[in-house]
Amino acid sequence: MSIDSYRFLDFATRQVMKAWASRERAGAIPFAPLKKPLDRCTVALLSTAGIARNDDRPFDQERERRDPWWGDPSFRVIPLGTTEADARIYHLHIDPRFGQADLDVVLPMRRLTELAQEGFVRQAAPNHYSIMGYILEPDVLVNETAPAIAERMRADGVDAAALVPA
Amino acid sequence: MIEASGIPTVSLSMIPDLTRAVGVPRLAGISYPLGRPLGNPRDAEGQRAVLRALLDVLPRATEPDTYVELPFAWPDSPVKARNESKDVPPAPIVALVTRKPWLLPNLYSGRIPQREEELCAKD
Repeated sequence: MSIDSYRFLDFATRQVMKAWASRERAGAIPFAPLKKPLDRCTVALLSTAGIARNDDRPFDQERERRDPWWGDPSFRVIPLGTTEADARIYHLHIDPRFGQADLDVVLPMRRLTELAQEGFVRQAAPNHYSIMGYILEPDVLVNETAPAIAERMRADGVDAAALVPA
Repeated sequence: MIEASGIPTVSLSMIPDLTRAVGVPRLAGISYPLGRPLGNPRDAEGQRAVLRALLDVLPRATEPDTYVELPFAWPDSPVKARNESKDVPPAPIVALVTRKPWLLPNLYSGRIPQREEELCAKD
């Protein structure tokens, strides 16, 4: 594998990431084929940067600081049109300043709208989503958060989703 | 889970070995620093190119565990990227295993220490 973004990380973080990768075991991977060409698809984005609107509940950083093995498994809805002025990034494992300066660095809703204007996709969905990406025990994420996001995406008529890590 | 509900997904990843270990239907690896998956702030053209390449994996993939490496190179050196975030405090788990390296094997084994022990542990 020629992609090596570990080189952007300090030594300790690298060790933690490698340990995490080695403990994961992939189960059966689901696969839903794209039903129509991209230029007819409504597309939603999901960021793992831990983005919450200023008028919404923040991700729980305090509990993670008390218990570093825990990560907030909830999600937030980020309506299309939300900008860096309206939201904050709560992920404690990344430098939030880049996404805070320009939300499209982590949740490219404006770029998606531009791709829709070009005709590359049909349209950006009305709602996009964020979770916080550091979750060692994914039970709640898998059994509650992801199905709830999927449900909302279906209600919005989303045809395809792009997951963007942070 | 989103995929299982019938909505096709594609995942971008700066750490494709981690994302692939979790298991995703379509994966696009990119050599960008954490925190900047689409590129630098206000680089609209670069961000759009990454998003376009990412979405383009959707129609091309015909089976699960499809992996594509995106051809984007980070404009600066890794050292510069690391230095730009030098003053950011380490994540709590990174600080913890730096302080208590003997806990690192817990991460590898998946045995998460008892919460009470951790909460009561005095440094």
